[in-house]
Amino acid sequence: MTLYLALGLYALGTLAALTTLFARGKGPQYAGLGFMMAGFVAHTIWIGTICAATGHPPLTNLAETTSFVAWVVFAVELGLWLRYRVYAASFFVYPLVLLLLTTSAVVGENFAVLDPGLRSNVFTLHLLLSTLGVAGLLIGLAFGVLALIQDRALKNKRPGRLWEWIPSLDVCKNVSFRALSIGFAIYTIGLIAGVLWSYRTNAGFMDLRVKQIGAVTAWILFAVILQSYISNTYRRKRMLFVSAGAFVAIVVAMLGIRG
Amino acid sequence: MPLILVGLNHRTAPVEVRERLSIPEAKLADTTYALRTLEGVDGAAVLSTCNRVEAIVSTREEDVIESVVDWLAVRGGASRAELEKHLYILRHGDVVKHLFRVASGLDSMILGEPQIGGQVKKAFLTAQELGTLDSLLGQLYENTMRVAKKIRTDTGIGEHAVSVPYAAVELAKKIFGDLRGLQVLLLGAGDMGELTAEHLHQQEVKQVFVANRSFERAAELAQRFEGEAVQFDRFEEHLAKSDIVIASTAAPHYIIEPIQVTRALDARRNRSLFLIDLAVPRNISPAVARIDGAYLYNVDDLQQVADANLGLRQQKAQAAESIVLREVEGFRKRLVAQDAVPTILELQQRLENIRAAELEKCLRKVGPMTAEQRQAIEMFSSQLVNKILHYPILQLRDGAEEPQERESLRKTIRKIFGLAK
Repeated sequence: MTLYLALGLYALGTLAALTTLFARGKGPQYAGLGFMMAGFVAHTIWIGTICAATGHPPLTNLAETTSFVAWVVFAVELGLWLRYRVYAASFFVYPLVLLLLTTSAVVGENFAVLDPGLRSNVFTLHLLLSTLGVAGLLIGLAFGVLALIQDRALKNKRPGRLWEWIPSLDVCKNVSFRALSIGFAIYTIGLIAGVLWSYRTNAGFMDLRVKQIGAVTAWILFAVILQSYISNTYRRKRMLFVSAGAFVAIVVAMLGIRG
Repeated sequence: MPLILVGLNHRTAPVEVRERLSIPEAKLADTTYALRTLEGVDGAAVLSTCNRVEAIVSTREEDVIESVVDWLAVRGGASRAELEKHLYILRHGDVVKHLFRVASGLDSMILGEPQIGGQVKKAFLTAQELGTLDSLLGQLYENTMRVAKKIRTDTGIGEHAVSVPYAAVELAKKIFGDLRGLQVLLLGAGDMGELTAEHLHQQEVKQVFVANRSFERAAELAQRFEGEAVQFDRFEEHLAKSDIVIASTAAPHYIIEPIQVTRALDARRNRSLFLIDLAVPRNISPAVARIDGAYLYNVDDLQQVADANLGLRQQKAQAAESIVLREVEGFRKRLVAQDAVPTILELQQRLENIRAAELEKCLRKVGPMTAEQRQAIEMFSSQLVNKILHYPILQLRDGAEEPQERESLRKTIRKIFGLAK
């Protein structure tokens, strides 16, 4: 019930924020943020319920993981909104949060009590860090897209609909770079933890299931994106495709959790 | 609402007339006091900016308009007939509407400009300090500032730059966010460049380098911006250090080529560089715009941004006008209700006295009765009085638009019900 309440509130929040694209004024943005925050409260209760029922973080199946990633993504977005008042992030982050939680609800798996064979600190570390890393990378990706939009608008001298909602190019770039750097570091440690755990339990570093291929591809693509920031080539058109590829790879890695 | 406003502005009077009536800040208090001393004036305030001079008075006599016009003519050293051609005279609700629009920037030469709010505030505060602000003008002042703030917050009418220098500052903010800590390089001493550098200086940029063919002029400008003068032939050394470059020289050719910008960006470790070319002929090669990390705007580009922003402000002005209309009506209703209160109270008291006296007579005639019977008669008499009072009170509160009409209605009701004059 709490899950569906959160889902409904997130849907209303996303809808309200998106109407800002067609109607002037900050009213719908504030309404959207209000709904999203109410949804976040319901979502937090839902995650708390899972933790209480299973006795471990909600990271053991696809439904739990997508729900947790959505929760972390919105928490980070809220923090960034309070710091930078980035209205335009709502056009990307709110639908992303809604999509992730919808996936969680549609998959609808029961709470998973961890298999005793999987109970290990390294495995828990792997799950937690990978998920937090993914959340950071997704935020970095969203702000990276905002930086690209802002750069194009400034270069072409055509402001466009998002102009007044996007903060300065430097803010977008810096937030994106920081989120990607931190997310990438955490994600890398998470992957290493996963490889170590796999080696200890399966006597092999990794197998080639969908989630492993997706996770490694995402890691490589995010490394390329980070490098583009360092070498200042992030503005190039191909980075849009790399970003889209990284997003798809992350989604594949998450969907692969099922397998 | 016995309010009168007599004034002229940039639409009704040429600058030659406006400058004669304009009041220096140091003389504002004396002028306001002089207006208050005119016969028939209860409260007075004077608004004087480079684009308008307005005398605002509260009065019980409309004849005061003649005195105010004469007073203005004497002040401006003009004949009454000459001045009247440029004057507008507003009464009551129109004064309120006008002031709400003026304070919100809706009546300004540059639509939505924010300075006018402060100038209106200054005019009323001066009057308040002098004691020339009566209760009505006091309420008008409070409401004017509240409405102006509401319009700015709700519509964001002043948010977009509508002049070339401000458009440049706005774009710089879109690139860098906070401008504090940035370095600016000003090339040449063209007026527009100087003005843009001035606006950036006001945003507390860290340093302004000034390069000009005449080093003395560069030093003079650098002193004004608390910056540093540099030799013109060595400006490229400062290109890499600068985040914003303003080119405004009289050179007939490009003085900044793509290779120089590429070198500067490399040295800047690819931090963005904003180049503003305000010169005609242009000083910066248009090919610079194709370099990643370099954002080049010439004077036409900036003018386009300013024009587009003006269009946005015009859209927002429509929403602002609706707010003004709603607020004027609200203010009028509050004042009328406030004005009618003494008569309403007297009326209620008068009828209550009649009711109490007649009830007493009636009860004496009827003789002994039960508590329920007595209560029923009392209730009947109260309800009857309330029904009779309903329409007169409604009329007193909301029955007339114009002050004279309202006064006439008040007198009629007082006469009909036998209230003291």
